[in-house]
Amino acid sequence: MKGKKEDKDLRELFRQKLENAEVIPSPSVSTVLMRRLGRNEFLHFNPARFNIWYLGGIVAAGAALAIILSSRSGNNDTIQPQQPASEINEIVNSDNLISAPEQPVLQNADENNKNTVITDRKPGVIQSEVDNNLKGGMNNAIRGNNNVSPAGVTGTMPKNGLFRESIADKDKLQSGYRADGCLIESSVTEGCPPLRVKFSSKAGSNGTCRWTFGDGGYSNETDPEWIFDVEGEYEVTLNVFDSNKLLSVSSIIITVRPKPKALFEISPENAIIPIDEIRFLNFSSGAVKFRWDFGDGNYSELYEPVHSYNKFDKYNVHLVVFSEYGCSDSLIVMNAFAGSGYFIKFPNAFIPNPTGPSGGYYSTKSDEAAQVFHPVQSGVADYQLKIFSKLGILIFESNDVNIGWDGYFKGQLSESGVYIWKVRGNFINGEPFTKMGDVTLLKN
Amino acid sequence: MMSDHQIIEGCAKHDRKAQQVLYDKYSRLLLGICLRYSNDKAEAEDILQESFLKIFINIKDFSGTGSFIGWLRKVAVNTSITHYHKNLKFRYHVEIDEYVSVETGVTSFEEDFFTSDELYKVLNELPAGYRMVFNLYAIEGYKHKEIAELLGIDTNTSKSQYSRAKAVIRQKLEKLDKLKKSYSAGD
Repeated sequence: MKGKKEDKDLRELFRQKLENAEVIPSPSVSTVLMRRLGRNEFLHFNPARFNIWYLGGIVAAGAALAIILSSRSGNNDTIQPQQPASEINEIVNSDNLISAPEQPVLQNADENNKNTVITDRKPGVIQSEVDNNLKGGMNNAIRGNNNVSPAGVTGTMPKNGLFRESIADKDKLQSGYRADGCLIESSVTEGCPPLRVKFSSKAGSNGTCRWTFGDGGYSNETDPEWIFDVEGEYEVTLNVFDSNKLLSVSSIIITVRPKPKALFEISPENAIIPIDEIRFLNFSSGAVKFRWDFGDGNYSELYEPVHSYNKFDKYNVHLVVFSEYGCSDSLIVMNAFAGSGYFIKFPNAFIPNPTGPSGGYYSTKSDEAAQVFHPVQSGVADYQLKIFSKLGILIFESNDVNIGWDGYFKGQLSESGVYIWKVRGNFINGEPFTKMGDVTLLKN
Repeated sequence: MMSDHQIIEGCAKHDRKAQQVLYDKYSRLLLGICLRYSNDKAEAEDILQESFLKIFINIKDFSGTGSFIGWLRKVAVNTSITHYHKNLKFRYHVEIDEYVSVETGVTSFEEDFFTSDELYKVLNELPAGYRMVFNLYAIEGYKHKEIAELLGIDTNTSKSQYSRAKAVIRQKLEKLDKLKKSYSAGD
């Protein structure tokens, strides 16, 4: 009965105090909650709110439109193969350019191109193109490389689409041009960031050079050196001038490959060396090949290796990762297990081997039957263990952490019962420890 | 001031303002519940967030019959249980001998002697398994059979966990009691 009443008291106490207790949440909880809620609602359909279904709908509609339009423009191309003609024209024009250097290069080439196209065109066709143009700007962007619109319509067209296409045309032009002598020489054309490239101009002393590197940088040296820090494709252009006359334009593409990222964690945290098996959790990205150096002379090329160390020490764990292009990144964790795993623990019972004393040697593997009373420890530098009987008689002493008590005293198996132990010593890092407790000697 | 009914209607329409009002009105009470089921306030706030997400998403399922607070409480408790299951494997194991001998000297505690902060602390320090059973049985008032189903354990486990939880709580309270009395005696 008393137990019941006690139980009720305790229950009442907690119920009264805590059933309707209020705790004020941190302000951040509310903001994070609202953000998560917003994301969540975005993912669920709700006709009243913009969400992923609407977004998906828009994307799908846009994609369908783009496919329809691009297939139509593709047809146009095959029906009227005028592209080569315009290229030829362009080449001719860029030759003319040299004699008329006041005009900007791109624009001029562009306009000439347009003119030639327009003359090729039948009026009826132009009319239908105008209609298309009026239908939407997207049309222009996709179909821009035909450059069919008459000058009047050009004004309404998005500049970007046209401009981009004309650059593409110029590229084609130069890839043809390069065959009989691109003036750019580069030490490499692709590599890992930071990529250092030495450029040189084959123009020699004819004229001055103007380099643009495609990342916003430029140089007026003849043989510049440039470092690309960020991955991407860069179009490096060399314009050679001779007293303000543009002599030539060359370009090459420099490809900077993405850099992988090396990242790992050690599991378990605060691992006990050498007992714990260490798992290296790999969080690297963009990498296909891995090389682990565990710091104890062992290596691995596995994705997530598991490694056991033989003894406690300072280990520097080093991971190098490689991308498919051979770009690498590395991460090193110095003294990876510092401060972790200094401990000493004792069991509270053991069962001595009844067939005779063993001398107390043990290893964690050999003593599965718990025949020796010994600590489980890591990082113990020096150590003194004493075991007393209940009467206070010292019956065992060891200064070696690898020697425990086998349960024998003066060659005789001790009585079963409780014994007192006391240990003192220091860990590797100099921290002292003292412990005491009791152990029960059992017999089978 | 919006009534509960208006708040529920608003939340069902995903009205941000109504959601905010609901949060402002009940977050403290629900955090009070979540804190009983967690190790610390940060964990409790995580559970609180989960609970409110569930509440906002499922509010149209609240039938309107029965108490709204009761429903909110239930969501918080259930979320706490889910959280407990999810994090089960990360909990530290408790050494057995820590709890072998429990002496019961004091038989009853004066209600006003402990503050709710102190009681929270006692609960937060309990091993997770004990804490779940104690909360569900002693405060939420579930039967052992129901608890066994909720936690996926045996009914007898629930009972024994509860009695061990009680013993540990008692021990902690006694320690606290002594400590507080010695302080007040010293003054």
